[in-house]
Amino acid sequence: MSKTYEQINERIRSGKAVVYTAEEVIDLVREKGADKAAEEVDVVTTGTFGAMCSSGAFVNFGHASPAIRMTDIRLNDVQVDGGLAAVDTYIGATATVPGQKAGYGGAHVIEDLIAHKKIHLHASGPGTDCYVRKEIDTWITIDDINDAYLYNPRNCYQNYGVATNTSDRTIYTYMGKLMPRMKNASYSSAGQLSPLLNDPHLETIGMGTKIFLGGGEGYVTWPGTQYKTNVEEVNGVPVGGSRTLALIGDMRQMDAKFIRGLDITGYGVSMAVGVGIPIPVLNKDIIQRCAISDEEIFSDMVDYSQPVDRPAMARYSYAQLRTGKVEYNGKTIRTSSLSSYSGARKVASILKDWIEHKEFTLNQPVMTFPKDVKLNKLQERGC
Amino acid sequence: MDKKFKIEFDEANVQDSVSYILVTEFDLKPNVLKAEISGDGSGVMILALEGEEAKLEAAEKRLKEAGFNVSITKRIERDEDLCWDCGACVSICPVFCFSHDKDTMKVMLDNSKCIACSSCVNACSVHALSLHL
Repeated sequence: MSKTYEQINERIRSGKAVVYTAEEVIDLVREKGADKAAEEVDVVTTGTFGAMCSSGAFVNFGHASPAIRMTDIRLNDVQVDGGLAAVDTYIGATATVPGQKAGYGGAHVIEDLIAHKKIHLHASGPGTDCYVRKEIDTWITIDDINDAYLYNPRNCYQNYGVATNTSDRTIYTYMGKLMPRMKNASYSSAGQLSPLLNDPHLETIGMGTKIFLGGGEGYVTWPGTQYKTNVEEVNGVPVGGSRTLALIGDMRQMDAKFIRGLDITGYGVSMAVGVGIPIPVLNKDIIQRCAISDEEIFSDMVDYSQPVDRPAMARYSYAQLRTGKVEYNGKTIRTSSLSSYSGARKVASILKDWIEHKEFTLNQPVMTFPKDVKLNKLQERGC
Repeated sequence: MDKKFKIEFDEANVQDSVSYILVTEFDLKPNVLKAEISGDGSGVMILALEGEEAKLEAAEKRLKEAGFNVSITKRIERDEDLCWDCGACVSICPVFCFSHDKDTMKVMLDNSKCIACSSCVNACSVHALSLHL
């Protein structure tokens, strides 16, 4: 049996849609089989809430009188992009206060904007015949500027490696604090709840897919940067970083609980982003893939103390990783998640709630994403 | 019960054996968590002490009378509004203060085990953890 987007949306609009989260659907498919489950369920909701460095926000401040073409722009001292039109900027999540490696950064500015906090704006520009002003110092909030929307070039990584440290010193990485001699290991995927592990070949997710982004409605706009497909698969899903998504969403709809500035010791600033993607159950194959569980999703552990070439040391399932410890050559390594599983679950359940209450319908993608992509390495050459 | 004492000393009492007093006079079981002596003879020691409550109180009084500056040290504290339940701290703590609740998957903190090593503090990306020794 199969369903169309229109049939599913009709059921949503009439309040009859049956919605399961990607966690709940596992037991349902195990008990009833994919055929029965596909008849019963209309939508499966997924969720993830983790650090996604390639995130940021476009903002338009509005013109002051006299007007200024801003080229050096600081928000709460954080230096943001001055390479757009006069009063536009892009606040990169990892932007910092000049001279500082970490602390308060772009992601914190974005979180504070969403929380309706006052932000100190200081900007200067060259002064031109059309923009005579050279400097401005003022305070803004999201309520008195013009546009404010997230545009995240790379979110929702489809799986990601496990990090450990074989060296004799503690190292501080974007994969967290890694203690010497493999005392611990960290991982970041939401596993069985993660959007792209539930629709691994992006049959239903593409440009125009409507999603939960940071507590509001957003959209998938493009394949994310570093999107690649040539990754080994086990049980139909990649065992390492593979596909990614570029996302967009109106910051005024968002909730600062789902967009958090992170200060990662030794690495810098990043942003935790809550993303949920609904998967329409168009047929039994789709719900079968949504039923994947942490026991069936694997990731390779690599040594982050190696500056280049990190070969896979061992392969673990997310079920093993979530027990808090894994074995490696007779040694016990303690494990930490770097993304919030309880947050991912909350995202998936809020999205489920929206759909059940007729507040959210599904969009059919207007463009699907590439099936065969490899990544290039950066070449170093003279000219 | 157990308490953690932060004991500050100076050149006048740096030679005294605090642990000996606590064991012989008060039947307490000390565990040295941290001890530092500076070049001027001053220093600080953090002791985890196990024993009867009345004896712990009497021991604190006795050390103060002997000229030591004694305070009860704090354990790791978490700002619940800031914590986002990621779990970065879980594998860092040497005495397993942090764990995921099996049902809610939230990160639970049992600070009764805390040995005040502060290793988790800089593992937290939202500065939710603090330790005031």
